[in-house]
Amino acid sequence: MVAITIDGRKVEAKDNSTVLDNIRNQGITLPTLCYHQEVSPFGACRLCTVEVKANGKWQLATSCDTPVTKGLEVRTGSEAAKEARALAAKLLYSKYPGAKAVRDIAGKLGVAVAAEAEDENPCILCGLCVRACREVVGANALTFADRGLGRDLEEPKIDFDPDACIGCGSCAFICPTGYVCMETTGDRRMIWDKVFKMAACSVCGRYFAPEDQLAFISKQTGVPLSALKVCVSCR
Amino acid sequence: MKPVAFSSWNGKIVDGRKGQPKGKAKAADLGCPVPKEGQKMSALLGWNGLVILDKDADIPSLTLAYLKEARKLSCGECSVCMIGIDRVTALLKEMAAGKADKGALGEIEEIAKGVAKNAKCNFGRASALTPVLDAVKHCKADFLALGKGARKLEEKACSVAVTAPCMQACPATLDIPGYIELIRNGRFSDSLTLIRERCILPGVIGRACTHPCETACVRNDLDGPLAIRLLKRAAADVDLQAGGCGLPAPKEEKKQKVAVVGAGPAGLAAAYRLRQLGYPVTVFEALPKAGGMAAVGIPDYRLPKDVLNHEIDLIRRTGVDVKLNSPLSPLDWAALQKQGYGALYLAVGAHVGTKVGCGGEDVKDGGFVQGAEFLRKASLGEKAAPRKKVVVIGGGNVALDCARTCVRNGFKEVEILYRRSRKEMPASATEIEEAVEEGVKFTYLVAPANILRQGGKVTGVECLKMKLGEPDSSGRRRPIPVKGSEFVVKTDLIIAATGQKPDTAFLAGKSKVALTDWGTIQADAATFQTNVPGVFSGGDCVSGPATLIEALDAGNKAAKSIDAFLAGTPFAPELSLAGLDTKAQREKGYLAKEAAAEVSLMDPKERKTGFAEVEAGYTAAQAMKEASRCLRCYRLMVWE
Repeated sequence: MVAITIDGRKVEAKDNSTVLDNIRNQGITLPTLCYHQEVSPFGACRLCTVEVKANGKWQLATSCDTPVTKGLEVRTGSEAAKEARALAAKLLYSKYPGAKAVRDIAGKLGVAVAAEAEDENPCILCGLCVRACREVVGANALTFADRGLGRDLEEPKIDFDPDACIGCGSCAFICPTGYVCMETTGDRRMIWDKVFKMAACSVCGRYFAPEDQLAFISKQTGVPLSALKVCVSCR
Repeated sequence: MKPVAFSSWNGKIVDGRKGQPKGKAKAADLGCPVPKEGQKMSALLGWNGLVILDKDADIPSLTLAYLKEARKLSCGECSVCMIGIDRVTALLKEMAAGKADKGALGEIEEIAKGVAKNAKCNFGRASALTPVLDAVKHCKADFLALGKGARKLEEKACSVAVTAPCMQACPATLDIPGYIELIRNGRFSDSLTLIRERCILPGVIGRACTHPCETACVRNDLDGPLAIRLLKRAAADVDLQAGGCGLPAPKEEKKQKVAVVGAGPAGLAAAYRLRQLGYPVTVFEALPKAGGMAAVGIPDYRLPKDVLNHEIDLIRRTGVDVKLNSPLSPLDWAALQKQGYGALYLAVGAHVGTKVGCGGEDVKDGGFVQGAEFLRKASLGEKAAPRKKVVVIGGGNVALDCARTCVRNGFKEVEILYRRSRKEMPASATEIEEAVEEGVKFTYLVAPANILRQGGKVTGVECLKMKLGEPDSSGRRRPIPVKGSEFVVKTDLIIAATGQKPDTAFLAGKSKVALTDWGTIQADAATFQTNVPGVFSGGDCVSGPATLIEALDAGNKAAKSIDAFLAGTPFAPELSLAGLDTKAQREKGYLAKEAAAEVSLMDPKERKTGFAEVEAGYTAAQAMKEASRCLRCYRLMVWE
């Protein structure tokens, strides 16, 4: 355990936990768009920005990717922190005015949000799908397209590798804006424009998972494919 | 040079737009980028500030040009930087169109400040909008005039330069943040393609580079530099494990042929670049192996030769004809021209050991050998018969390579004698540590005076103790002999590794290529052409012994110059940012400490038994994690 201070309160933080974990444990709400406890932090949405004291100076830091260290002082409600979060929300809203998740957070953080807006499902580049696919699923079907020196003015985007995708739907589940959409009808599932054949449960006959996903799990775990062809309810 | 009209470089305001500013006001004194001889510059927006040389410069339009370039470098990953740039650009355009409200300038300031304080990477914090904030603050009237229609916002074609502390430190100016970002995103083959744009031996450089980039890494001040060399190695390794993708074929075929002498890094780089431009290229290599010092100077335990050979093989497959065992001695340029060669590139390296300056070193009895020759023979399969004791003289990487090769060849006792102390030793710290682990003995502040022989056999070396005096021209403290301190070190073999020079015997006679006073080939610093038109030269044979990456850079640059020569077009060398402090940045922000991922090294006992590679590379997952430590310190400059 590590002793830290959050808004003047002494907190015993777990080793290797992040500042955001502890802030939320204190019941303080900091809404985020790129954070999920099951994947590594990314520090992209900047909505969890707080102030930490380093070298005797209060400095802005994203709490999701700041690990706790002994004696760390954190303040969540300072003007500087609030301004930083509001600016991030304001900029996100200016870019994605139609995304409900963005609108909701922007409104909470004091940004003037239009009451009426056309619903859109843009990709806000939070990277949750990329991390879920890489870290939780292990399929590595999603990567950020290349940016940096010598690149053009094109919008950054997520590249999809249809050969690597197993159709598990984790990306659609974790996506905060509904940009990644998945449709399952009968023995077909469509995701990222790729169509998957669904496997039927060998006991009840219900379609329950894409065949590619079962093959992937079988390969990863060594469990024979036949043993996997039973759905959770019939197991 | 005329004084600047205005500068906010590094946050220091010098304003001379209304009369002369006090104190220092020349660009060079302020540490900001200065136009080179013959370059026009009226104003510059750079990561660290705004510099105005001509007070009538159109700053709002330059700001627009800067924003456009910044947009290209912004990765778009965090919510503030790229969207902030977009928003500021939109506000500027709205102002120019007379559609903006009064608060537009205030909003630009708010966004610029906020992005600098809270962007995810150092591009956002230090470069993205920093000079834009300075521009709207200090040229407010110009921006307000824009809103009133008194000024026009123009899309201008401006000069652009992008660098980073690591890029600037790299002799070949690799796009280091770029290839690291690709690794972070798991795009290993794209990363390798980017590396190869300037480094055609990525697996070799990823193992044997002296990595000055890591010394320049901004993270040094926090928790240690990025393992840039290992990341480059990972890009090459991951690709090779997947089968190794080929190099692109030339897009066109040209008629004029180019000859290259020497298949070392400089020669191979020049040959490959020229081949890419469509020239048929023949490389004449005197030795039975290609690779130059990478092949016969760096032992296998640091650089496995299958890695080198794979990379040379890829170059050959693009059509570069490498002729082994083909010394061009004496060189006859006229005869080559008759065979249709339009240009010649001399990259013969520096393979001859220089004299140590001690008595008895000219006796050829096999008891005293030169380091470069010892390593060359070892690489070509002539293993030195192990003796009881060997003394290696010198403190550079060649000395270390000789000593560690002797350990592996079964010498019982290996001792390095160096005339200065450990602090001044030019060999890399890792090599010294690894040598110590392998049992190499280091004796400092000792210089050889006389080689002792009995019955025609070396028995020892008489040495003098040294003390350190004032720093010499190299900046290191000069060793001074201590009078009467003579003592004897017994040994069966002495290897001298105190320096190398090029073997220029092949230039005697018809070639007429001039040499410098140091015995290196004389070549123009910008065009790399020698005194003989059409004959170019570069690498160690021009610079004296240097690093692999410097040789690759020499080859890359020579190829451009040779291409211009053959095409009859003027040659414009790359913009040099030498002397610019690229580390300086105003907003640093808070960063959590995270040490670099370590790689495992082979057990020292096991190492001694053979020449297997000591250092394990990163796995793909380790490399991606390490790459995520990169702060992306891209520095942008736009000027007109």
